Amino acid sequence: MSQAEKHAERKDVYGDYATLTIPESETKSTLNIFMIYMGVLAVVAAIFAGSGLAQMYDAATMLEVALLGNIILAIFGGLIAYIGGSTRANTYMILRYPLGRIGSIIGNLIVSAIPLIVWFAVETWLFGITVNVIYPHNVLTSIAAASLWGGFLMMITAYYGFRAMAILSYITVPFWYTLVVIGFFASIDLAGGFSKVWTVRPEVIAPLGAGITYVVGVYASGSVITSDVARYGRKPWSGAVAWATHVTIFMTALLFAGGVMTLLTKTPNVIVAIAQIGLGVGALLLAILGQWTTNDNNVWSAALAWINTTGKLNKKAWVLILGTIGTLIAGVWAGLWGMSLDPFIQFASLLGYFIPPVGAVLIADFYIFRPYVLGLKDIKTRYKFGPGTKYAAINIPGLTATLLGGIIAWLSGVYGLGTPVVNGVLSAFFLYLLIAIPMAKAGIKWEVGEWIEKETGF
Amino acid sequence: MRRKQDSEVGLMDKGNALKKKSLGMLSFMLVLGLITLAMGTMAGNYRGFYLSLTLGTIIVLASIVYIPVVYKRDPGNPQGIAVPTIQSLWISTSMGLGYVVTAYAPYFMLPFPIATALFILGWIMLIAGLYALLSISKEANVSLAV
Repeated sequence: MSQAEKHAERKDVYGDYATLTIPESETKSTLNIFMIYMGVLAVVAAIFAGSGLAQMYDAATMLEVALLGNIILAIFGGLIAYIGGSTRANTYMILRYPLGRIGSIIGNLIVSAIPLIVWFAVETWLFGITVNVIYPHNVLTSIAAASLWGGFLMMITAYYGFRAMAILSYITVPFWYTLVVIGFFASIDLAGGFSKVWTVRPEVIAPLGAGITYVVGVYASGSVITSDVARYGRKPWSGAVAWATHVTIFMTALLFAGGVMTLLTKTPNVIVAIAQIGLGVGALLLAILGQWTTNDNNVWSAALAWINTTGKLNKKAWVLILGTIGTLIAGVWAGLWGMSLDPFIQFASLLGYFIPPVGAVLIADFYIFRPYVLGLKDIKTRYKFGPGTKYAAINIPGLTATLLGGIIAWLSGVYGLGTPVVNGVLSAFFLYLLIAIPMAKAGIKWEVGEWIEKETGF
Repeated sequence: MRRKQDSEVGLMDKGNALKKKSLGMLSFMLVLGLITLAMGTMAGNYRGFYLSLTLGTIIVLASIVYIPVVYKRDPGNPQGIAVPTIQSLWISTSMGLGYVVTAYAPYFMLPFPIATALFILGWIMLIAGLYALLSISKEANVSLAV
């Protein structure tokens, strides 16, 4: 029986091939995959991250740090995207091998299920800030109040899945990129020319390592879940090429543009900068739309992750549960933190510590351990999926390396030792191989328990 | 046999109509993009001029690049016509939205008549683009997410 026939027989119970591999008929071109990644990047949070960099560096160092951080993300996420492209499986599925089936649920919680609720909260909080910048003197448009009603609206949108919102999202994205470019040049124009860009700097310059960690941390979660999009690639390398191109060029450009706007206008965030430059209320409303349409995706993806974690309830129920939690977090954060960027920066740094080790273990397992130790040379059958497939419940070296890698990264950050994210990734990568290879060679059982895939793919 | 031939002729007619509609819409956007470029030269200041130059050039390029692509497509393959048309229209329509939200922005200092003209042209691009996107997507049975 062909792969296509097998697919035709299996029902996609949860939707969006949450627990199944992608059939050939659903694959997309490399350009299409690139556009999907670009759409994900087109959020206010991306240039907000540039604002964070502007508080640490001058423009030249900012560009250097952004480029270095994004090259790390391009390699890291590209390698993971290639796994998705080869296996046609999403992140939650491919983690079943390096972490085990139960381990993949833990990895799933670390990579998506929990962070995406926080991302939803952060974007809702940014929404509150944007509304407050446009209409500052009203109780209903205070940051806390706007975060609460904004979060509620985003949740309802996600719940009903309005087609109109998807259309608005597509229309918004191309102009959003243009607007960032316009804002960038307008801020330079108002500041008195390009020469000013290279002379403005914050009072204290942070070490390079801190900035690279920050940049990697901002998109670390995204780079570990590149397979979710890359699995749709027509060629195994489609996702990897699309990812590496968009993150190296466009993420760097967005960070730099956001940072320069903040440096030159001396405002704490980009939304305020756009308002000060005089790009109009319409542009700010567009930013709101961008946040809205991105955030309903966040809560949808979080719902997908929780289905994969629990196998219970449907997407709509999870949207209501997670959306309510995220909205409450945003309201409290807004009330507690006001317009400070600290929660965003802290969250990005936290991601930088604990998520990349999951990806590092996945890379070590797929590219080294299975082909060169277990002898699974054929890349297309290295990870198998389908009803009746047996997975280990827990991959001991995988889980151990992930947790230790995260702890090492965190300790590196606390004690200022090198670049924490890179330390975490390298530690997890080598720890996995150092534990798994001797165990496999000595015939010691390195996987425990068994989980058999059901017809639904769970 | 005859029924099959009739069906193929019907498909070709449908494809030809779709091709004509797609090329018409892309040409319409091209003309509007050129008009906004021309209006930019009447802005009287470099900021307004650069705004039109940026948005107008993107619209013109998105149309010029895709018109020959759509022109060469086989009418018997409606999806092959619809996909590049929709890709081009997403960009043009988005830039139309750009004119709507920036025409009156204080930074660009556009004279009121020019700002109003760009604002109206932006709305025309937005509404016409949306209508074309939805109808072409429906006729060719192609997703808007191309």
